[in-house]
Amino acid sequence: MSQLELRKIRKTYPGAAEETLKGIDIDIASGEFLILVGPSGCGKSTLMNTIAGLESISDGEIVLDGKDVSGVEPKDRDIAMVFQSYALYPTMSVRENIAFGLKIRGMPKEQIEQEVERVADLLQISHLLDKKPSRLSGGQQQRVAMGRALARRPRIYLFDEPLSNLDAKLRVEMRTEIKKLHQRLQTTIVYVTHDQIEAMTLADRIAVLKDGELQQLGTPKQVYDSPQNMFVAGFMGSPAMSFVHVNVEQGEQGLQAEVQGGDGRSLKLPLPEYLADRVGKKVVLGIRPEHITQPQDQKSDQALVTTGEFTIEVTEPTGPDVIALIRLNDTNVHCRIDPEHPVTWGETAELMFDMKKVVFFDPETEKRITG
Amino acid sequence: MTDMTRPGLRPSRIAIYGLLILACLVYLVPLFIMLVTSFKTPMDIRTGNLVALPTEWTTIGWTKAWSEACTGVQCEGISGYFWNSFKMTVPAVMISTLLGAFNGYVLAKWKFRGSDLLFGLLLFGCFVPFQVVLLPMAATLGQLGLANTTPGLVLVHVIYGVAFTTLFFRNYYVAIPDALIKAARLDGAGFFTIFFRILLPMSTPIFMVSLIWQFTQIWNDFLFGVVFASGDSQPITVALNNLVNTSTGVKEYNVDMAAAMIAALPTLVVYIVAGKYFIRGLTAGSVKG
Repeated sequence: MSQLELRKIRKTYPGAAEETLKGIDIDIASGEFLILVGPSGCGKSTLMNTIAGLESISDGEIVLDGKDVSGVEPKDRDIAMVFQSYALYPTMSVRENIAFGLKIRGMPKEQIEQEVERVADLLQISHLLDKKPSRLSGGQQQRVAMGRALARRPRIYLFDEPLSNLDAKLRVEMRTEIKKLHQRLQTTIVYVTHDQIEAMTLADRIAVLKDGELQQLGTPKQVYDSPQNMFVAGFMGSPAMSFVHVNVEQGEQGLQAEVQGGDGRSLKLPLPEYLADRVGKKVVLGIRPEHITQPQDQKSDQALVTTGEFTIEVTEPTGPDVIALIRLNDTNVHCRIDPEHPVTWGETAELMFDMKKVVFFDPETEKRITG
Repeated sequence: MTDMTRPGLRPSRIAIYGLLILACLVYLVPLFIMLVTSFKTPMDIRTGNLVALPTEWTTIGWTKAWSEACTGVQCEGISGYFWNSFKMTVPAVMISTLLGAFNGYVLAKWKFRGSDLLFGLLLFGCFVPFQVVLLPMAATLGQLGLANTTPGLVLVHVIYGVAFTTLFFRNYYVAIPDALIKAARLDGAGFFTIFFRILLPMSTPIFMVSLIWQFTQIWNDFLFGVVFASGDSQPITVALNNLVNTSTGVKEYNVDMAAAMIAALPTLVVYIVAGKYFIRGLTAGSVKG
C-alpha cells in the first residue's frame, strides 16, 4: 500500500487564461479512501489525470512513497484507474481486458490466468470472462473495469466518477461493494465524484474543490458539521443547507437574532455566546433541515433550543422524513419533520429550532465564524 | 397480414415506385447494352437491334479482348494491363490506407502543437486537381528514377490518396473516446501497442471504407496512368482507351464492350465483398453514453 502526497499542484492548460489547479496540497495516507468532490469544472478530474500522469503539471510535486513522480510516465507510476465510461477494449473479451495490462508488463501466462481468476472471483464476474464488453450490462461493465484495475495490484487506485453512468439502484449497490472492497483490500484510493452522498458514504476524508482551489479537507463528519465556508456548507448535504441573513442582537437571556416567517410572524432565535463581538452586525445562519423539526419533548428545555409557529409553504414526503419548506427573512428554508407528526402545506405548524449545531458565516468573507 | 401492415397501392405509391423503376432502368440500360453486346457476334451487332438479345451467344468478344485485341501496335489483349493495374492498385491501396490509419491515429489521439493546422493543410490535398501536379510529379519521378514504372505510379497514388485516407481515419478515431487511450496508457501500453492492439482491431468498418474508396479511385484512374506510365507498365484504363481507339479494319464493338466489362469488374467485386462491412457499430457497447 502506498502513500501519496500532492504538493502545491498547479496546472494551466496551454492557451488558457486561468489556472485550472491553483496550488493543491493534499496528503493521502496509505490505505486511505480520499474523495475529491466539487461541481463540474472545479478541476477534480484534471487533478486525477495529473496523479495518473495522463496530464503534466505546471508546478508542484506529486510524491508517491517518498519519490517525486511528477515527470514519470503513467505506465511507470503503477497506478490504475477506473473510468466513468469504463473504457473497456471493445475488441477484447473480458478475460483479455483484465489480462491486457499484465501481458504488457510481461507477467508469465500461468500467473496471468491465476490473477484473472482471482479478480473474477472477487468481483463475481467469472461467468462473463469469455464475453465481449458490448454483451454486458452497465453494471457488469463497471465490474470488469474495476477488475482490470485490481488485477495489476497497483500502488494507487483512481476512480473517476465510476458510478455516474449507472441507474440509481445499481449505483447504491456498487457503492456498498466498493466500500466493502476497500475495507477488505485496504488499498489507497482517490475517488472523484460530484455526488455528495457518494462522498459522505465512502470517504475516509473528503477534499472539496472549487475553481481549482481546495476549499476544505477533512473527514465526512468534519466537512458536514463544520464546513469552513458557505460553499462547502451548501455543497454537502441534501437537501442543501439554507442560508439566512440575520442581525445579531443582545437580548435579555443572551444573544439572539430575529427571523420573520412568510406570514410576518417573527421569532427570536437564541445564538451562542461566541458571536458576542458581532452584536449589531449581520451574520449568515447556516441551517440544515435536521436543525428545524417538530417539537421534541426531550429537547425543549435545552439551551439554544426554541420553538415558533411558521406557515408551511411546501411539503415533500421522502419516506423516512417529510421535508417542509418555510420562509425565514425572505429565504427558503428546509425543515426535516417526522412523518408521524403531520404538517400540511398552507397551514401553520409549531417548529423546533435547535441552534446548537447551526453554523454561522461572515457575510463578507463567507467563512465560518468559529467559537 | 392485414391492411394495417400493407398499405394499399395508392396513386402516390404507384408514382413513387414508377419513378424508382424508371430511374433503375435508366441506370441499368447502358450496363445491359454492354453485356448483351459483348456476347454478340460482329454480324449480329451490324444487323441486329442495339437492345435485342444476341441471336447467337458467343464469348469470342471476351476471349479476344483478354488475349488478342490490339492496343496500339501490340495485339496481345488487355490481360497484361489487367495485371498491371493489380500490381499498381493493391500496393497503393494498402500503403495509403495504412499510412492514413497511422496519420489519423496521431492527429486524433496524440495532438501536438499545430496538429489541427497540419490536418487542415492535409485536407487541401483532397481538393488539388490531378492536372495541377502532373508536371512537378513527372519531374520528381524522373529524378527518383521511377518514371514510367509501376512503383512510380504506386508512389503517385499513395501520395494522392493519403489525404483522403487520413481524413477517413482521423474522423473515425476522433469519435473513439480518449478514455480508451488513457486506460491503455495506464495499463502500460505505448504509442505503437495502443495503435496495433487497441485501435486497429476496432477499425474494420473504416478500413473497408478506405479500401473501397482507394481501390475505386486508383483502379479507375486514367490521367496518372496515361502520363506516368508507358508501354508495359500501363494500367488497364489506358489499355482500354488504346484498344477502343485502335482502328484497324472493322470496329469490334463486342470486344470493346467485353474489355470495358473486364476493366470494371474488380471495383464491382470489391464493393460487393467489402460493402457488407460498411455497417457501423463495431464499437457499440464499449462505452456507455
